[in-house]
Amino acid sequence: MGEVIVITSGKGGVGKTTTTANIGIGLAKEGKKVLVIDTDLGLRNLDVVLGLENRIVYNLVDVINGNCRLKQALISDSRFQNLFLLPSAQTKDKTAVSPEQMKKLTGELKEEYDYVLLDCPAGIEQGFQNAIAGADKSIVVTTPEVSAIRDADRIIGLLETHGIRDNHLIINRLRVDMVRRGDMMSVEDVTEILAIDLLGVIPDDEQVVIATNQGEPVVGESSASGSAYTRICQRLMGEEIPIEDFNRSNGIFSKMSHFFKKN
Amino acid sequence: MSVPSVSIAKDRLKVLITADRMQCAPDMIDKLTKDMYLTLSKYVEVKPEIFQIHVTHSDIHIRYSEITGEKN
Repeated sequence: MGEVIVITSGKGGVGKTTTTANIGIGLAKEGKKVLVIDTDLGLRNLDVVLGLENRIVYNLVDVINGNCRLKQALISDSRFQNLFLLPSAQTKDKTAVSPEQMKKLTGELKEEYDYVLLDCPAGIEQGFQNAIAGADKSIVVTTPEVSAIRDADRIIGLLETHGIRDNHLIINRLRVDMVRRGDMMSVEDVTEILAIDLLGVIPDDEQVVIATNQGEPVVGESSASGSAYTRICQRLMGEEIPIEDFNRSNGIFSKMSHFFKKN
Repeated sequence: MSVPSVSIAKDRLKVLITADRMQCAPDMIDKLTKDMYLTLSKYVEVKPEIFQIHVTHSDIHIRYSEITGEKN
């Protein structure tokens, strides 16, 4: 029996879809059978990030409404033979699917796949409720910014209210140089506030933009972001991989901050 | 030297998150903290400069005195 994992954030634009794509591919490369589902009805994106946008025939709403068989809607990726995509609908309105239908569908899917990853839409409305309905655990993606962390905290509260207590954090787009200058919150600052298990940290990396332009993954590549995603996949599979040391502030700033704290 | 912007971010975030978690206005926290301090100080010795309220999704933690040797 596989696992259903929802990738969520509250705020938009923090990297949910990129994270879903790269974790999906990373796990598939490790030999796991993976299905990624785009649950953002009306704003389909995961297919584009994966470079599979020209292959879509049927979508999630067609499957739910019985317009096609599940197998007809799934898109296999010729680059990664264990990876499958269930795309979202680009035109349907977001009430086309209910949480009960999603729960039933994901319940059936995890019989067949090792991992079912749900790319959740931004916000806390129906799309979010649909995406979390059948989830066993969550990956909450945030960036080290006030608005993103605030939204992540609300999401964690909502997940707990819905009985999802196995929640893991990814801090995306960390800039070590800015953390050192005291102009960006550090990994420790974020985890202290959000207080959930840290699954991984993705450094800000232009390779992500380049790869997304091309519809290619970064996971498995030697880039900073690529190796960070590889380690996240290993941790998801239960390997004990320590979090990289993005050393907090050092030098003059740590003395300064020490000074501030004392007074 | 100016205050690093990260400390401003952290202060703003802590107020926002506490207000979100308790579902109340940000200035309620100040009032609550003040009331809690006054109530508590009737019964135990409380150091005002240490007194602090920390709200999680399910609990409220109150710090009223410093344990020597602790990091904070």
